[in-house]
Amino acid sequence: MRMLAVFEKGERIRHIGHLDIQRSVQRGLRRSGLPVAYSNGFNPHILITFASALSTGACGKREIMDVTMAEEVSTDEFLERMNKAMPPEMQLSEAIAVDQKHPALMAMLQAAEYDLLIRDPVQAEKLTAAIPAMMAKETIPAMRKTKTALKECDIKPLIYGLKGEGQHIYATLVLTEREACKPGMLIGALSAEAGISGEEIRTLITRTALLGRDGQGNLVPLERL
Amino acid sequence: MDLNDKIEKILEKVQKAPRYTGGEMNTAVKAWDECPLHFGFCFPDTYEVGMSHLGLKILYGLINRESWSLCERFFMPWTDMTALMEEEQVPLLSMESRRPLNAFDVVGFTLQYEMSFSNILAMLKMGGIPLEGKDRGEDDPIVVAGGPCAFNPEPLADFIDAFMIGDGEDVMTELNRVILERKEKGLSRETCLKNLAKLEGVYVPSLYDVAYNPDGTVASVTPNCPEALATVKKRVVVDLNSTYYPEEFPVPYTEVIFDRIMLEIMRGCTRGCRFCQAGILYRPVRERSMEKLIDLAEKLQQSTGYEEISLSSLSSGDYSCLPELIRELMKRMKEKRVSISLPSLRIDSVLKESLEETQQVRKTSLTFAPEAGTQRMRDVINKGVTEADLLEKVRDAFEGGWSSVKLYFMSGLPTETTEDLDGIADLARKVIAEYFNVPKTQRAKGLRVTVSVSVFVPKPFTPFQWAPQDTLETIIGKQEHLKQVLNIKGVTFHWHEPYVSYMEACFARGDRRIGAVLKRAWEKGCILDGWNETFRYDLWMEAFRECGLDPAFYANRERAEDEILPWDHIDSGVTKAFLWREKLKSERAETTKDCRKGCNGCGIQRWKGVCAYANAGSV
Repeated sequence: MRMLAVFEKGERIRHIGHLDIQRSVQRGLRRSGLPVAYSNGFNPHILITFASALSTGACGKREIMDVTMAEEVSTDEFLERMNKAMPPEMQLSEAIAVDQKHPALMAMLQAAEYDLLIRDPVQAEKLTAAIPAMMAKETIPAMRKTKTALKECDIKPLIYGLKGEGQHIYATLVLTEREACKPGMLIGALSAEAGISGEEIRTLITRTALLGRDGQGNLVPLERL
Repeated sequence: MDLNDKIEKILEKVQKAPRYTGGEMNTAVKAWDECPLHFGFCFPDTYEVGMSHLGLKILYGLINRESWSLCERFFMPWTDMTALMEEEQVPLLSMESRRPLNAFDVVGFTLQYEMSFSNILAMLKMGGIPLEGKDRGEDDPIVVAGGPCAFNPEPLADFIDAFMIGDGEDVMTELNRVILERKEKGLSRETCLKNLAKLEGVYVPSLYDVAYNPDGTVASVTPNCPEALATVKKRVVVDLNSTYYPEEFPVPYTEVIFDRIMLEIMRGCTRGCRFCQAGILYRPVRERSMEKLIDLAEKLQQSTGYEEISLSSLSSGDYSCLPELIRELMKRMKEKRVSISLPSLRIDSVLKESLEETQQVRKTSLTFAPEAGTQRMRDVINKGVTEADLLEKVRDAFEGGWSSVKLYFMSGLPTETTEDLDGIADLARKVIAEYFNVPKTQRAKGLRVTVSVSVFVPKPFTPFQWAPQDTLETIIGKQEHLKQVLNIKGVTFHWHEPYVSYMEACFARGDRRIGAVLKRAWEKGCILDGWNETFRYDLWMEAFRECGLDPAFYANRERAEDEILPWDHIDSGVTKAFLWREKLKSERAETTKDCRKGCNGCGIQRWKGVCAYANAGSV
């Protein structure tokens, strides 16, 4: 059996990178004493995957881990033991038991929802005001960071939803194994539209949900599929 | 902008933010107002170094266990962080509740090595505490320090109010009680310091006056009040089984240097290597029982989730039931996929059986420390190891499937000649030959021999405390020679920066006057001196010049038998007479037996019931 568990990456630890988060979850599992399955081989490790790596600096409200269990465990027990074993900034809110054949989360992932808090209220107002004009365009040029360079791309087809409210910008952006619109790319494009691209825009990024598509093609939380 | 906003802004910009964020598993967040005594534990180096340190974990757990005291951690920020904090006017803050250092009642530094001293000044400054004890007022914290470098406290005498000498477990709580009393009764700083001086193992430098001879050597160290004793005896925890050991460690998010369970199986060492300061400071040897260790290992495994346990001590191979301990730990940890590693292996005591068992879980590289290249030199330093021993253990390792071996040596030892340096290369060649003697089908591929040669630094409380360090010129010449002779296929040669070792030598045997050099060097920008990228030799030299002191006086001078050494008023348990006898024997390349084979009369036998191998009748 596999356990899909929804967990938080809190604000205090948002600068912790994905590899460190993975290791912390593994150590949490080891502390919990839950019957997790290990890989065979010389350096055995816990069989675990994550739906998506969360960027360094970003918080996560509903991140998802996928743990292969060696024995059956109830979701209640899993949650209770893990929450005792995990630090306060990485608590679990939900666990769902699925069978071994359940598809890999990474393969089902289609999009993510973000809450982008713009620290400067004046900038927030300008960015929010620029949303309709930007979305009305045929193409939305943005800069994508690759390992070696910055590349221009069109993010228009990658934005599923975008609205501003006070200091927050709420965005639903494509996130698959093949392509993604990172929140930074969106903010970059939006600030260009608002005419403030020269300014540093301090943003607190929170990924609030990971989404997949149901049978009707609707975007729904990944853990519900 | 409020403090938290400023911190957030800084963390967005700084490199390696996780070393500053805190919130790790098993870090205590106790209610500030419910604990009357607040202890700020300062590790004067980076987070990654500090969080690898066992002493921090012990004292952190110990102080937080008491209902009336809390302990929060402080580390030395890296240079980019320091600059950002200055820019935003953010003080040095604790990892737990983000309070400034000067909000604590006691500020405690651990002194692990001399090259961290400038970080102490930097942390005090960033924490809003006057640098020198004489400038601190009634509202300022009491600044204390402990650890191996506290045994020669004099270079830090201006900056530290009280030193804890020896094992910290018992004295820590006593010291905190005295400081709590100050707070509750509103006692003056001066009264509190005098009360601290009454505790066994506590040295308050301001209660002593030091006079100097015209040649710069110490003429006298005299107590200036009745509370101060003429000599301060180190503290010794007699029974490791009943003393505190944490059952949980903080688990960092980010990788630190020693990111695993450290199980201290014993303290002290009976070998008597003459260069080794720890071997004297941590006398006598004391073991933890197997039952206690297994219980601790299981509890620590459950509380940390670590995947590795390392057995920690000065000489783990000497633990009396090592094979049984390893076998039992392996049995219990196998299911939990926890591997057991043995650091600081002494080459004469590792059983083949243990090697085979270690391999069962994980095969890492094996480290051997012959320390010197010839038998004569090893006899001079009393490293009771022969070439045959070493090669036998290396052969066992290669047959057991290891292919990576590290060899540690020192250069600059008293009486060292070119022949001794060449001996290092000879030994490396013989190790390689052992590998090729194992049939190809039985040995692991990819032979790697790493030869690491450090620069010898004479330390207080060793038989070499009177010895000159090689001059920089000599050291550099020897390193050049080693580079040539160690140009061997399959060998990687590492050596240490001689300039750092030179400064280390100055401060290791420094007196009270050298504190001025430290302060001047720090003012000029010296910090994080243990790191090559931040060490500034030129600034240190300027500081010496401007203070009118000669580094060679401290590093390269041979001391006379009757010279009063700056640390003579500290009693390590081992007598100066014993150390002098050992020095004379070393000059004759004469060895001294392991204490377990009979008492050598080092002096610790004067303290009744402390040493298991003591013979009260010995000289």
